[in-house]
Amino acid sequence: MTRGEILLIELSKRFGDLVAVDSIDLNIAGAEFFSLLGPSGCGKTTTLRMIAGFEQPTEGRILLDGVDVAYTPPHKRNVNTVFQNYALFPHLNVFDNVAFGLRRAKRPKDELRRRVGEALELVQLSGFERRKSSQLSGGQQQRVALARALVLNPAVLLLDEPLGALDAKLRKTLQIELKTLQQEVGITFLYVTHDQEEALTMSDRLAVMNGGRIEQIGAPQDVYETPETLFVADFLGVSNLMDATGRGSVDGRCRVEIGRFELDAGGGPSDVTGAAKVVIRPERVELEPHEADSGPNRLPGMVERVVYVGSAVQVLVRVATGETLQALVTNTGAELPYEQGTPVTLHFPADALRVVPAEGASEAEEPAEDSSLSGLESR
Amino acid sequence: MSTAAEVQAPPRLSAWSRFRGWLTNPWGRPRFLVVFTWAYMIWALVPVLIAVQFSFNDSRSRTVWEGFSTRWYWGDPVDSVWHDPALRNALVQSLKLATADVLIATPIGVLLAIGLARWTGWGSRPSNFLMLFPLVTPEIVMGVSLLLLFTRVFTFVGTGTTAQILGHVTFSISYVVVIVRGRLFSIGRQYEEAAADLGASPAVALYRVLLPLLMPAIIASAAVVFAISLDDFVISQWLSKGGETDTVPIQIYAATRAAPLPSTNAIATIMMVLTLVSVTAGFLVWRAFTRGERRAGTKVADEAGAAMQMR
Repeated sequence: MTRGEILLIELSKRFGDLVAVDSIDLNIAGAEFFSLLGPSGCGKTTTLRMIAGFEQPTEGRILLDGVDVAYTPPHKRNVNTVFQNYALFPHLNVFDNVAFGLRRAKRPKDELRRRVGEALELVQLSGFERRKSSQLSGGQQQRVALARALVLNPAVLLLDEPLGALDAKLRKTLQIELKTLQQEVGITFLYVTHDQEEALTMSDRLAVMNGGRIEQIGAPQDVYETPETLFVADFLGVSNLMDATGRGSVDGRCRVEIGRFELDAGGGPSDVTGAAKVVIRPERVELEPHEADSGPNRLPGMVERVVYVGSAVQVLVRVATGETLQALVTNTGAELPYEQGTPVTLHFPADALRVVPAEGASEAEEPAEDSSLSGLESR
Repeated sequence: MSTAAEVQAPPRLSAWSRFRGWLTNPWGRPRFLVVFTWAYMIWALVPVLIAVQFSFNDSRSRTVWEGFSTRWYWGDPVDSVWHDPALRNALVQSLKLATADVLIATPIGVLLAIGLARWTGWGSRPSNFLMLFPLVTPEIVMGVSLLLLFTRVFTFVGTGTTAQILGHVTFSISYVVVIVRGRLFSIGRQYEEAAADLGASPAVALYRVLLPLLMPAIIASAAVVFAISLDDFVISQWLSKGGETDTVPIQIYAATRAAPLPSTNAIATIMMVLTLVSVTAGFLVWRAFTRGERRAGTKVADEAGAAMQMR
């Protein structure tokens, strides 16, 4: 049986009037790499701190392998934490830092020596035992923090933005290392981050949080490809958002009206009527030369700006409905035939276009039409 | 478009404006501040240096230099610091009070600081503020109140060494609290949380993690307490029984008003050296302990470091 299963039931934390975590339910399987992703202040760190035991929940239950630990003090919980700033004890050397937990558990000397050695080997820091933490680089400190937590063989390892203080290149390397390490040791990792790329790269599953609530839970691919809310679509990378009016299902797809144009969206609910939003990722937007009658699911527009970003070229296009959309074209070395003012046609493949019902849209009486028309006329 | 010919030659400057330019040149060093600082240093230090110089005078004069000698320290069989019973007693009494003060005020102050820094809730803010009270209360007011307390209410204390120690401890604790609390705020809660996370109970976390991290602040505050206890005149005087319980500052004051001898300068010099040594030692220990913390990523912009330099 795998251990390290976490079950959060209607967990809430309030600080005075501020609701940091608002009644969340979460089920994390044993040996899973699970990420909590969200902007700062979304409640992800508070959730982690409640699981670690540094904060007491206002309401709700925390089950760790079936046992409610909500009121167990942190030093009696079988979870360990890698802190954002590592919190390595500056008065102890690497060996004593890693041995700290084993000493508290009163392990015999030879076992202690062996396990500290193994843990340091696991993070490739053998030979650094006598160094002080001030003599280590950021990446090395991060590994010591990892060894210090893993040496106790916890059921769950909590990681609070552990790569936040490192530079971009080192982060990439450590992302892969962390994932490999997690598969090696088979411990549940609960990873808190605001970096969507980090969460997508490493997680088995992730939860996107916003305002103390969970917006969506799923595998990285599901959350990225089929965002259920506008927030998720927007937070996970750049998305093109357009106001639209749903016209119900046509051939299993949702027909939407944007101004005087009609598009078919393959993603999201297909029977939306009334005000809605449609989203599409910039890398799925296809640029075509402008032609009078080019086919379905297309909008005419004019190139507003071409931005070189290295691996790709970002083309900002103002479409006929007045909105500015982004298309991301992979940099293949060929010169793009677009420049400011070039008329183009944007193709939105139906399977890449997704309808997200606007919040409270069911009550609204088709307000989108007027506004999009006036948007057209103002051009 | 201006050509080279159109550019005017720099105007010829008077000596005064050149001096002003030198003083206020925005691209140079802040010379005005340098001049100002040195003027202050000379103003503050010269009298002290003259007093120190005459403690080594070979004659009884405190104004006319007649050659170097150490007679006022130990050479003179009657009037040297070593042989004059009043001066020697005063030195012993001062050291006794300072040592007792350090031993009592430091541990109490450390515990109070931890309590105040980690206690959030009703009453924590006023208590934190009240801790500054002894620092701003005029010493003479505190001296009078303590005298009344020990002679009218707790009459078993009376005046003398015990009362003086209690008085010194009363105002010293604030210094310890301020220095240690500053360090506590700068190291934050993360190390305690890390210790708890690794299985340390609160008591073990205090002993194994918090106290070692506070050690520089503890040693620094002990040094400061030693120095201010040696320095103190008002409270020592109010609570003195006279005779043996007079401290060095009291003796110096009395001797200077009666029949001043260079031995007064000598004992003052000894006091000054003791104070300087204790504060410098405290500062060096602080620096040695916290070395490398900046690189390790923790902030050391401590109130305590500032407090050390303040003294």
